[in-house]
Amino acid sequence: MARLNDDAQWIVLMGFIVSFSLFFLAIVVNQSTVVGQTTAEGVLEFPKNDIRDVRYEVLACSDLLPADMAEVQKDMASIAMDRKNAVVSFRISDAPPGSTFKKIYEIHYNNGVTAYNETANY
Amino acid sequence: MVNSDGQLFTIEGVAAGLIMLFSAYLVVSATSIYTPGDTHISDMQLEQLGSDALRMMNTPNTTATAGESLLQNITKKNDGERFKETFLTFCNSTTGGSYDNLQLSADLFYRDTLTKSVKQFHFAHSRNLTGGEHAVRVTEWVHLDLIGGDPLSGAAPGIDTRMQAVLMEVLLWRD
Amino acid sequence: MPDDHAYLSIDFLAGMTIFMVAFIWVATMIPGLLISLQGGTIDYDAVAYRTGVILVEDPGMPASPPWENKDDMQKDEIQRFGLSLTKDNPNILAPNKIERFFCSTSFSYPDDYQRRVIFGERPYSFNISLSTFDGMMNWSVGDVKPDGYGYIRRLVKIKQPSNATINAPAFRNSGEDGNVTGHVFSVHINCTQLLQDVRNPPYQIDPLRERIMVNISNLGGARVFEPANVITLNKIIIYRQNPAQPLVQVRTFDTSYIDGGNAASSLPVIVNDNASVIFPAGFFYGMANENSQLYINYTFKLSLQDLFFNNSFTSPYDYNYSPIRVTQPILKEGVVEVAIW
Repeated sequence: MARLNDDAQWIVLMGFIVSFSLFFLAIVVNQSTVVGQTTAEGVLEFPKNDIRDVRYEVLACSDLLPADMAEVQKDMASIAMDRKNAVVSFRISDAPPGSTFKKIYEIHYNNGVTAYNETANY
Repeated sequence: MVNSDGQLFTIEGVAAGLIMLFSAYLVVSATSIYTPGDTHISDMQLEQLGSDALRMMNTPNTTATAGESLLQNITKKNDGERFKETFLTFCNSTTGGSYDNLQLSADLFYRDTLTKSVKQFHFAHSRNLTGGEHAVRVTEWVHLDLIGGDPLSGAAPGIDTRMQAVLMEVLLWRD
Repeated sequence: MPDDHAYLSIDFLAGMTIFMVAFIWVATMIPGLLISLQGGTIDYDAVAYRTGVILVEDPGMPASPPWENKDDMQKDEIQRFGLSLTKDNPNILAPNKIERFFCSTSFSYPDDYQRRVIFGERPYSFNISLSTFDGMMNWSVGDVKPDGYGYIRRLVKIKQPSNATINAPAFRNSGEDGNVTGHVFSVHINCTQLLQDVRNPPYQIDPLRERIMVNISNLGGARVFEPANVITLNKIIIYRQNPAQPLVQVRTFDTSYIDGGNAASSLPVIVNDNASVIFPAGFFYGMANENSQLYINYTFKLSLQDLFFNNSFTSPYDYNYSPIRVTQPILKEGVVEVAIW
């Protein structure tokens, strides 16, 4: 029997190998979204403790004199920008007369990935 | 007219290729994770623990202390030893009674109105940083009342004595 | 010899291409089929973290009326466990929630917990433990931990209940009219004042939702003329007065811990030295509201006439925020560990 014409077999084989490796890479990319590592990254990335901390600090400033409050606002804004790469600002004002609340708190936090804005009446 | 003589060989080749592809895929997906590095999970656990520790230190236990928390007291008195001991007790205690092996290094950041800059003051450490530690950073705002007569005003260079908010930053790592 | 040149017709190529594309697409879906079978190892830490957050930072569902007051018959109404005092006070735990959560007679491992705190379709094994730094409280539920597991550790503060310790001789009555056999001592719980003076829940005495303890000590020393007088704690009656309403008797309380005993004795009972009454969490919830005044009246009977522990003609003992009258609720540090495998 005449030999099979195997002239193109190397090309075809290389073609298969290339396609296998592309397929494998596609799987790796696909799998990386399923793995639990992203859960931990998600938890780390969200500044839950930072935001809570800012809120507690703002609540601790409830009854300050306006001069002291201005200094604390500047403290928080500059230290947060310097160390936490976040914009933090807040304002505590008196509620309008006749309202059932005493003060209005406005808190703003933004670390570039997560922004938090709160207006609270106490 | 197309000659369909060699189709069987082609189909055989393609089928063999598919079988190889499929089995290679099954083998590879049966192994576990092949994404780089698992450190995020332990980082997340450490960061949550450190944040909890600082928050609990900054919560007064009763209203009797005029609302001053342990952390505020320690900061005012520049008591690095007490900070280290308390923080390590908080972080290393487990329910089984055994102790974990976490270390810390704490710095205080404050705003100096004279130089209009944010300054750093080293507060405490359990051992010196060698640079090889994989540490997480946790922070807590500390509200300081007038600290004119307190040890902190003499220790931290250029710290104001007015009412201010300072940031306590702790690097936490497992040995 | 057949000619075996591998010429392919176009329609074959087209059909084969469509088949291969479809096959590859199905093959990429196979991970989704297999996840339910083998994806466990990856997410134990994530489930442990989530369980830790649910327990430590959330008050549970339903929060009001609180889930811990539901008895065993109603346990299906509990949608989610949570130990935090309120939504706004994460990491500060309520002691009644802790006791209820770890109660092994009410909830069984693992099903009751799986549905209410662990969640997820996969049946996880777990171990949740809590202890205080001073070692006084140590609770745990679940299996023994194996070698590898997902884990989280949280630090908490546990609110301790308030209690009043009354030294009986300090509240003796006096005068001719006081020399009788029947004596009444009254403890006054001013709900309005308690809930308004301190509004921050971790430091507040909440008579409607928390445990209240009244310990009366040294009753023997309260006798004046007749040291051998036999003291009987006859009745404990609870009165309530709502604003613009008359004083009404609500109910009697029929047990008390006498002389340091471990089991409660039912009244009437003879007392030598001390009597402790523990009103469990939620006891006053149904009978009073935030504006009520509550009076707990102890009725003592002596075998002989005497002056005794009696404040009927002075003023009721005020259960308030004064540290000399009431041991205030303090926060105690503790640690919670969750292990999932």
